[in-house]
Amino acid sequence: MFKNKLTLKILVFLIFTDFLETFTHLCFKKSVLLEPGLAINKAGDLLIFLQGAFLSPFLWLGLLSVFCTFILWSSLLSRIDLSVAVPICSFSYILIPVASIIFLHEKVSPFRWGGVLFILLGVVFVSLSASEKERALE
Amino acid sequence: MRPELAFILFLIALTSACDTINQLFLKSAINSLASPRGNFQEVFKFIFKLIVIPRVWLSFLFSAISLCIWLFVLSQVDLSFAFSVDSMHYIFIALASRFILQERVSLKRWLGIIFIVAGILLVSLS
Repeated sequence: MFKNKLTLKILVFLIFTDFLETFTHLCFKKSVLLEPGLAINKAGDLLIFLQGAFLSPFLWLGLLSVFCTFILWSSLLSRIDLSVAVPICSFSYILIPVASIIFLHEKVSPFRWGGVLFILLGVVFVSLSASEKERALE
Repeated sequence: MRPELAFILFLIALTSACDTINQLFLKSAINSLASPRGNFQEVFKFIFKLIVIPRVWLSFLFSAISLCIWLFVLSQVDLSFAFSVDSMHYIFIALASRFILQERVSLKRWLGIIFIVAGILLVSLS
């Protein structure tokens, strides 16, 4: 199947999905941050917890963002190979810790950055192996 | 390893497993349709045809379960930690491809998976 080369327009859209994904998880985290600290011992507590989360506007903003990501991602994949799209989208493994530091005031140790680097490398290798398969299919 | 951490890692593994099942259902539903050509309008028509397939609803069900567990995980640990560890769905997908779909998984992909495992271990130890 013919697919376009990676153009600047597609690259911009791919990076935009990275930001959307980061935004999604920030919203999810925000939606549960508003909940009082809780220790869940019974299944009933979990229901109360989920009810609280689903009443938060942040959760719905996050879900809207998931929906947009899904539409954008499916349209992009009809124009570009998965093996090109996945490494670009794994950029969110860096964006999320950065956003966590800025917006959630989390602390990310050098150790954790090292782990993120390994994960990135792994994702790139996994998607490189997909490109072999795509070439074999042509 | 602290017991709470082990529990959180187990929950993240559970969301990853739900995501994998979700992807398998979605992939099988998508495979049953002809793939759309280029433009956005065609893609919207494709998505519309897709959402009437029952397997897609099963896939949504697993996404919903995954979301609920994910929200609980986020209430307990840092986002930067949880999101990194969630990359273990790459491992599940490779295992599912190899043992359920009987696909051949290349050496390069196993190498990638080893890197991801090493990364998750580093992040968990921090």
